[in-house]
Amino acid sequence: MPKLTLKFKKDSTKIREYQLERGQSVNIGRLDTNDIVIENLAVSGHHAKIDWAGNGFLLTDLKSKNGTFVNDQIAISHWLKHGDVITIGKHVLIFEYAPDEAQPDAGDKKMGETMVMDTGKYRSMLAKNVSSKVSQVAETEKIGVLSFLAGGEGEVELTKKLTKIGKNASSDLVVKGFFVGQTAATISKRPDSYYLSYVGGFSKPKVNGQAVKESVELKQFDVVEIGSVKMQFMHKT
Amino acid sequence: MIIVESAGITDVGRKRKGNEDSLFTDDEIGLYVVADGMGGHQAGEVASRLVVKTMEDYIRQSREEGGESPEMTRVDKTLSEEANRLIAGVHLSNQVVHQISQSKPSYRGMGSTISAAYFTNEDTLIVSNVGDSPIYLIRNNIIETLSVPHTVVAEQMAMNPGASARFGKAFSHMLTRAMGIEKTVKPDLCEVQCFKNDMLVLASDGLSDKVSPKEVLHLAKNRTPDKACRVLVELANERGGDDNITVIVLKVKAVKPEKKGIMKIFSRIVGGIT
Repeated sequence: MPKLTLKFKKDSTKIREYQLERGQSVNIGRLDTNDIVIENLAVSGHHAKIDWAGNGFLLTDLKSKNGTFVNDQIAISHWLKHGDVITIGKHVLIFEYAPDEAQPDAGDKKMGETMVMDTGKYRSMLAKNVSSKVSQVAETEKIGVLSFLAGGEGEVELTKKLTKIGKNASSDLVVKGFFVGQTAATISKRPDSYYLSYVGGFSKPKVNGQAVKESVELKQFDVVEIGSVKMQFMHKT
Repeated sequence: MIIVESAGITDVGRKRKGNEDSLFTDDEIGLYVVADGMGGHQAGEVASRLVVKTMEDYIRQSREEGGESPEMTRVDKTLSEEANRLIAGVHLSNQVVHQISQSKPSYRGMGSTISAAYFTNEDTLIVSNVGDSPIYLIRNNIIETLSVPHTVVAEQMAMNPGASARFGKAFSHMLTRAMGIEKTVKPDLCEVQCFKNDMLVLASDGLSDKVSPKEVLHLAKNRTPDKACRVLVELANERGGDDNITVIVLKVKAVKPEKKGIMKIFSRIVGGIT
């Protein structure tokens, strides 16, 4: 368990030591009702408190008259780290974990936790990190298209998450042929790329002349053959 | 009809006091969900539970009723019916979390990620996600990410790969989208053809921060889902266990296309030849 060492001024000898317990709160102030009593007029009756929160200790100033300082910085609330020096009036409390004790991450603890950006804050933080030019680059989504080489005309844009190709009239791309399956193949739009998968039918779809047994990623200018239809795959921005 | 073997574990990890992750698995309705909640004072737990519970209830109910239910107001024509159903469930969960978060001061600002996998009655698999809980597909000894991470770093990287180096650790957990934060949410979705022996791993960032996709591939590929889950959680804990760890591992045992009459026999014969 971490301890707090009370001293009058930083370099003087210690007055007392207090053990902090996980799950317990500690009140600091001038009045006797506090857990840590500092009898000095510079200290407010209820000056500050330390709470166990999550996996660390949180120091909160209780709107004291003369304020609470951590490492010479005024603190309203502060996640205590090993070695922090809390100044209350002329007294100091040194916060230290026991040598072999697990400590919360040394870095800014709050940053370790997942959080959601609200848009305003997001933009201002981004502005500090990225030049404005970069953030203005619009997200360009590449759309895949199949353009007919044989067995049809024009091109088909693959805007659907799953495009069905087959003999069945409900297919997105109807391909005729005795050996073509009701649904012969599907093209799936995944975050990174398009993938063609074989579904059913006697004749398997071919990509660059190779029969597809399961699933294959479509690359720029790949040639897709299904039944009598021959098409070329392309990315269009 | 896809037959799936599944297992899921959620573990508090080694540093956190409570577990803000939730998970749901059900082979019968073919739905698997991981949710990683956030928000202090147990609100994260509440948010992630609401997400998985709402998803379960919605999918179960809408499957029974069939067709389009009132929640499916925004039917997207570029998606299949089942994909629309999954998306509608995500939208509903978002609304539920958002509403509850407004009801009590201590719940304000709570949110959750969601990563869901849903097997259709035919032969495809749909995954959808909001936030940074990954969904991996393991097929033919290759691992791919089917989810889209909604983090500041990932989105900036997509726009400008060079700029990502400028982001410090501070940004690694910063989400750009989450469930329950706003009235509406935009999930990412993809629908893929499913094959025998495909494996799917859904996890919270408690795993993905500690174990790389490559390691997931090696640890999961030759193990049963149950064993794979345990090994993955153990490794994340060994490496610090800084966050709650949740893993669902699925393995496709069989895909049976709905074939009729003579086609069934034909395809069996020819299937052996080709």
